[in-house]
Amino acid sequence: MYFAGVDIGSTMTKVVLMDNSGNLLSAIKGPTGPEYRQLANEVMRQALEQASLQIDDISYIVATGYGRLNVPFADRQITELSCHARGVSSLFPNVRTAIDIGGQDAKCMKIDNGRLTSFVMNDKCAAGTGRFLEVTAATLGIRLEDMGDISLKATKKIQISNLCTIFAQQEVVALLSRGEKLENILAGLHDALASRIAALARRLGIKPDLVLTGGVAKNTGMVRAMKESLDCEIFVPEEPLLTGALGAAILAKETYMKAVAAGEALPTKSRRLEKATFFS
Amino acid sequence: MSDKNKGLSKAQEIYLNRSQRARELKAAGKKIIGYPCVYVPLEMLTALDLVPYQTCGDIKEPVTEADRALPHSFCPIMRNCLDCALKGKNDFLDGMATIHSSDPQEKTARVWESYTNYPYFHFIDMPITVRPEALEYFKSQLNDFRKTLEAFTEKKLSTDKLEAAIKSHNQQRALVRELYELTKPSPPLISGTEIVQVVKALTSLPVVEGNDLLTETISEVKNRTDGPEKKSARLLIWSSTLDDTDIMQVFEAKANVVMNESCGGIRAYRGGVKFTADPLEGLADYYLNEITCARTFRQATLGETRKDYARDLQSRFGYLKGIIKEWKINGAVMLLVRYCDPFAFEMPSLKDYFNSLGVPSTYIEYDYTTGALAPLRTRVEAFLETIS
Repeated sequence: MYFAGVDIGSTMTKVVLMDNSGNLLSAIKGPTGPEYRQLANEVMRQALEQASLQIDDISYIVATGYGRLNVPFADRQITELSCHARGVSSLFPNVRTAIDIGGQDAKCMKIDNGRLTSFVMNDKCAAGTGRFLEVTAATLGIRLEDMGDISLKATKKIQISNLCTIFAQQEVVALLSRGEKLENILAGLHDALASRIAALARRLGIKPDLVLTGGVAKNTGMVRAMKESLDCEIFVPEEPLLTGALGAAILAKETYMKAVAAGEALPTKSRRLEKATFFS
Repeated sequence: MSDKNKGLSKAQEIYLNRSQRARELKAAGKKIIGYPCVYVPLEMLTALDLVPYQTCGDIKEPVTEADRALPHSFCPIMRNCLDCALKGKNDFLDGMATIHSSDPQEKTARVWESYTNYPYFHFIDMPITVRPEALEYFKSQLNDFRKTLEAFTEKKLSTDKLEAAIKSHNQQRALVRELYELTKPSPPLISGTEIVQVVKALTSLPVVEGNDLLTETISEVKNRTDGPEKKSARLLIWSSTLDDTDIMQVFEAKANVVMNESCGGIRAYRGGVKFTADPLEGLADYYLNEITCARTFRQATLGETRKDYARDLQSRFGYLKGIIKEWKINGAVMLLVRYCDPFAFEMPSLKDYFNSLGVPSTYIEYDYTTGALAPLRTRVEAFLETIS
């Protein structure tokens, strides 16, 4: 028996396939948008190819992420909050707090025995999300993936006073024109973002172990800044982008196994790989 | 099938075309007075044969015109209400009765007055505490309101007429509470979405017509066989305003909203106005003390609750305890409208209160636009996943 988790985030689409023993068979990431936004089926196809499986071989599929509602081949939708919580706790059994920073929002989750118990999310605003870093990278003409490493070379702390993405961008330009070094500015930006997310997390109450996930967790400068802001050890999964899809796959497996054990029939969707639509 | 011109279907029709009845009444020679908030004592309008009409926002309407008069980071509901007014959507009004129920209401009232040209405009300066001095002051404000209404209508506001109006409005409150009794069964006999339609219809009709609508609706709902399905949770929503069916349906897709503690729900219909020798005294007391909105400061007004957090919470939020028990609430959502500071400031204490009662709760913010629906959906579903 095989299970799939499909996580359609604002920036990336992720698919995880696993067997009934929980072994990972494939894990695929692909961009969500804009041209790719209807191509969840393509990411799924690649994942199936990697695992040498056919779509009909999958017993149960859970979709998550902001595009979860209309994945035509998914059997059940579960929010990314529950899926991240489940995914993270499978990798870090002692996790009590998880922070996921994605392209569109930041989520802080309280976890107890592998289950999401409460959460807070950032406002509908780019500040405090990966988008903040994307915009700044574009302004500075550097690659997003290089930002963190450059920031670690900082020799002094620059205070970025404005957390609004647009105003911070202007502040960065002003600092550059004053001759401030790029690495120092980047370190300041990471600190600003981290302090905003730390404030959000403190509203929920932080308990160790704390795990950081989402695309922003791949940024070494952010991990450093979050550690300083929260003053605690931070664990980062090897593939921080995949915890939502992983959790979805685990929840697919658990949902299916529970129904089988109870002798209940579980309704499933047609296994045709059609395009996903978004809140149509 | 239900009768199209009665009860729930009628409420839905009015909800979708709220100003129709007011326009008809205007054409028949009645005077229509708009009001933006449930704190305006409608009894005084009814008693002078004026038709009260609540000027609501419309979440589907992008705010454009109001931006020339109001700052952007400001109560989105008042921005939206004013925007609708500036776009001529309330062009049938003969006047506005505004009130200082919150600072954005007060600021918007002034802009409203200067940017529009209604024959009648009045602003009631309502105090924010429940102290006896505040009650006296509020009563004097209602007396001023009486004077401008009398001058506008060229009629005397007699005690008899005011008492008759109080009786009709009290009856409306009782009928709305009776309607809410019908959400007590599981599944409820009426959905939160349907109640939003009914309540929003009431605020566009003369009180007697509203009471007829309620009577028909209650009788229809009691006998219906096509009520809502049972969902995974029975929710209480605590909010400043939840008066839109699209927003309500985000909750009701996966839960039964059995209590809407907001201005789009039961808030203006709890209790009733007492009959006092001077009716304004009863009105002042009801509107200042009985309506449970975060705009009123209740902390530490009673000596014995001072510095006793648990008792303070009880004095501020005690009314929710009975609701949670009687309506078998198993989840509470504090739904904040962005920039609504009075409600935002209540949130941490209310969260503590819900915790003390063992009711899981969450806080969600929205900005009164359709763009808020998708993020709202994720937060609501995630909350329901934590409590199911």
